[in-house]
Amino acid sequence: MRIEKDMKLADVIHHDFNLVPVINRFGIHLGFGDGTIEQICKEHKVNVAFFLIIINVYHDPQYFPKKHLQSFPVGSLVAYLHNAHEYYLEQKIPEIKKLIVKLTEESGDKHKNNFKLAFNFFEEYEHELTAHIDREETSVYPYVVELEKVIESGTAPDKVLARMQSYSITDYEDEHENVEEKLYDLKNLIIKYLPSVKNDAISYNILLELFDLEKDLREHARIEDMILVPKVEAMEITIKKMN
Amino acid sequence: MAGKITIVLIDHSYLVRSGMENLLREFPEVSLTEVFDGSEKHLVEKTMSLKPDFIIINPKSIKDSLNSFVLSLGNDALLIGLVDEHTPPVIRSRFKHILTITDNKYDLLNNMHKLMGTNSKDKSGKHENHSLSERETTVLKHITQGMTNQEIAEKLFLSVHTVTTHRKNITKKLGIKTVSGLTVYALLNKIIDMGEVNQQ
Repeated sequence: MRIEKDMKLADVIHHDFNLVPVINRFGIHLGFGDGTIEQICKEHKVNVAFFLIIINVYHDPQYFPKKHLQSFPVGSLVAYLHNAHEYYLEQKIPEIKKLIVKLTEESGDKHKNNFKLAFNFFEEYEHELTAHIDREETSVYPYVVELEKVIESGTAPDKVLARMQSYSITDYEDEHENVEEKLYDLKNLIIKYLPSVKNDAISYNILLELFDLEKDLREHARIEDMILVPKVEAMEITIKKMN
Repeated sequence: MAGKITIVLIDHSYLVRSGMENLLREFPEVSLTEVFDGSEKHLVEKTMSLKPDFIIINPKSIKDSLNSFVLSLGNDALLIGLVDEHTPPVIRSRFKHILTITDNKYDLLNNMHKLMGTNSKDKSGKHENHSLSERETTVLKHITQGMTNQEIAEKLFLSVHTVTTHRKNITKKLGIKTVSGLTVYALLNKIIDMGEVNQQ
């Protein structure tokens, strides 16, 4: 199903409740009433075209937005990505850690150390993810925002041109895969190799969270690679032509 | 005949899926599962969890990610490409076997028969041995000690190529890709103990 602006947001959430954290990143929260997507976006001062692209990307893994749809300010994209990062680091990761601690407590003394291994492993993953996100926030996004400013002002300062020479957005596409591998490993450790406990309820919750985080990160990377990167490439070309 | 044959079909077209379903009714021993939603990794996991004997893929349905999909399925999965006359050779070459969508029923059935024949021979043992061989266990041990492929090769008097192959097989058998994941596995299974873990 393609999600369109004249659909009621409530209907869309009924259809795919996994979109709740996604609409949160636009500042839209449950209790949003009975409006259409267009109405609710207006109320919250959200760019409708951009909102539709993002929720469609999350809703349908085959979805690829057409070029003409991609006219929205880069600032809103960066703001969205930033909010998603916050969600991963401040909600998802701590939640999963809490669950692993709980699982460790429930395991008998004999196996405590084994679950601690899993915890340390996940912490290592957290460090990697944090480092990756930091790099995006402190280096990639400011660069992107600056490019847009340059295009608006019509003149490119030497500083920006020099930066464009030394760094290109294409360099950064490759980084994403690496972050995924540890999550994959952790799932297998839980499913296959960690000792059994009496009740799988906590492990099941951990798996739910892991699968959910994994999916979210995957769509996040897709948005960056599919929408952010081409957009920046186009801006880089425009700026080169300006001079 | 050795029991059921499981086939997974990845195709975005409803008509093609229904057609394939219809065609495979000719083979009572075949059970067909259609997997086509979800993103790449999801597809791979879902597909592999079904332990298929054959995977039929329409490359158009996963065109952005065909390469990585094929890679993550590993070499011995029996991939069948569902292609048409416009499919370029680069894509055809990804598959061990090809079915042409525009073939007539007779040819399709004939090709299917041949394919199933090829599989039943080398099927035995393929899905069974998931535990590591002695050699692989030794290699795993050295990996967790932080040694590079080169170092492991020298230590065990093997070629680097052989070590790389062992490494690939370890990852495939265990479903663990990262060095720290492998370390956790080795600790859990007492292949190494805490004292041996290299501080990374």
